[in-house]
Amino acid sequence: MPPRLRAGEAPSLLCGEAHDRDPIVMLASAGGEPELIKLDSLPAITAIVVFLVAFSFLAVVVWPKIVKGLDERNAKIVGEIKAAEAAQAKAKAAQAEFEKRLEEARAEADRMVRAARGEAERQAEELRSRAAKELEDMKARATQELEGAKRAALSEIHAAAATLATSVAAKILKREIQAGDQKRLVEESLSELGAR
Amino acid sequence: MTFLLASGDNPLGHVVDKPMYGVQAPESWSLWRLTQDTGVPVSCAVIIFSGLLVCFLLWRAARAIETGPASQGVDRYITKGRLGQFVESIVVGLRDQMLVPVMGEKDTRRYLPFLLSLFFFLLVVNLFGLMPFADIQFMLRHAFVNDDVQEFILFGGTATANLMVTGGLAIICFFVIQMHAFRELGFGGWLEHLCGGRDLVHGPKGLYLVIPIIFVVEFLGLFIKPAALAIRLFANMVGGHTLMATLLMFGLMAAKAGLGSLAIGGISVASGSFALIIFFLEIFVAFLQAFIFMFLTAVFISTMSHHDEEHAEEHAHAEAHH
Repeated sequence: MPPRLRAGEAPSLLCGEAHDRDPIVMLASAGGEPELIKLDSLPAITAIVVFLVAFSFLAVVVWPKIVKGLDERNAKIVGEIKAAEAAQAKAKAAQAEFEKRLEEARAEADRMVRAARGEAERQAEELRSRAAKELEDMKARATQELEGAKRAALSEIHAAAATLATSVAAKILKREIQAGDQKRLVEESLSELGAR
Repeated sequence: MTFLLASGDNPLGHVVDKPMYGVQAPESWSLWRLTQDTGVPVSCAVIIFSGLLVCFLLWRAARAIETGPASQGVDRYITKGRLGQFVESIVVGLRDQMLVPVMGEKDTRRYLPFLLSLFFFLLVVNLFGLMPFADIQFMLRHAFVNDDVQEFILFGGTATANLMVTGGLAIICFFVIQMHAFRELGFGGWLEHLCGGRDLVHGPKGLYLVIPIIFVVEFLGLFIKPAALAIRLFANMVGGHTLMATLLMFGLMAAKAGLGSLAIGGISVASGSFALIIFFLEIFVAFLQAFIFMFLTAVFISTMSHHDEEHAEEHAHAEAHH
């Protein structure tokens, strides 16, 4: 059990022989009063010389490599960014050009469709009018032919009727006809007419 | 438990720079070293190892980031491996989000190697400080060697918790800023800048009385700005590590106060848990302070540049008024 301190007694490490060889105690009591600021130029000169030598080495061997590496990387990054921006601008321009051409093509297509539709309508109308005209012509021709045929038929009928009448009249004039004769004459006349 | 107790009696003892065990510098060096001590601070070893490590890691990252052969196709532009991707994301973020808005394209390209070297160098040194190399060495030494050596350390600690180290780096920044100023402005322009700028020097004569005051302030500012860089980084590293060491000390203090093992264990676990949280915060601080050192250097460089755009705008306004 170590001795307890009395009131007002300052603690001391060197309080017993047993502690004299204790490294902790020896470290603790080493050196007496420490000098916080000691005027000794050797550390200053060592610091100056060592720093200047180290700086010379670093300035020649190390920092140029580091600065060059950082600059090259920076240039690479900046270059890549600029190239990417240029490519983006180019892509945007190309897209704008493409969209413009697409718009033009679309307008051209619309125009062509409209023109084709108009042409088709015009052609359809023309065909329709031509067909109508042809139909009218055909109709007129048919009517004309019918009229001609009618007229021919009528003239033939007139001629046949006249002939028949003449023939009937001639027969009447040759003899007095009976009721049966009249019927037979008519039939003969009709058969003659049919034979013609 | 051992490690929780390993912070020492005074938390600063864990934080400050210590001499490397068994390594002595020639006594003749004491004149320019400004100290009679012949011990070589362990921060020197950390700085040398950090310099080698940052060169190796960034070289590996550069090989992963650089554009591969054309045979790889598009994949040659892809960064290979986590280290390369980690470095690349930091480089691109710092360059495009932080430096270009402040310095412009031209100055960023010119100073990017310097600023990024500064950032990664500080980052590695800061992160080294979070690894308990010193404690591990001490524990291992006393685990295997039974002697009275009280300070056994060959490697480890936070080199940026040494004001001389941060001051050395700030001196480099000072020269870079001034070289840029002379290159951009010329001696006359540099002097004009120290006198308050063109508007004041060529402005109303009544304001000439202000110029000496501004000159003194600006001239002191030339040195104060880099000094502020050094002190800020140093103070942040010391502060964070001191807090962590203090938290880890609570277990040892409980042991020294004669508390029971249960209490010691409880206190150690509680304080260790807080220390773990602070440890993660310190990882963030390691990145943040490396960034702040680098970024403020970039800001100081940019303040010494021609402000062509502003002047062009002013001329445009002036012509518009005429």
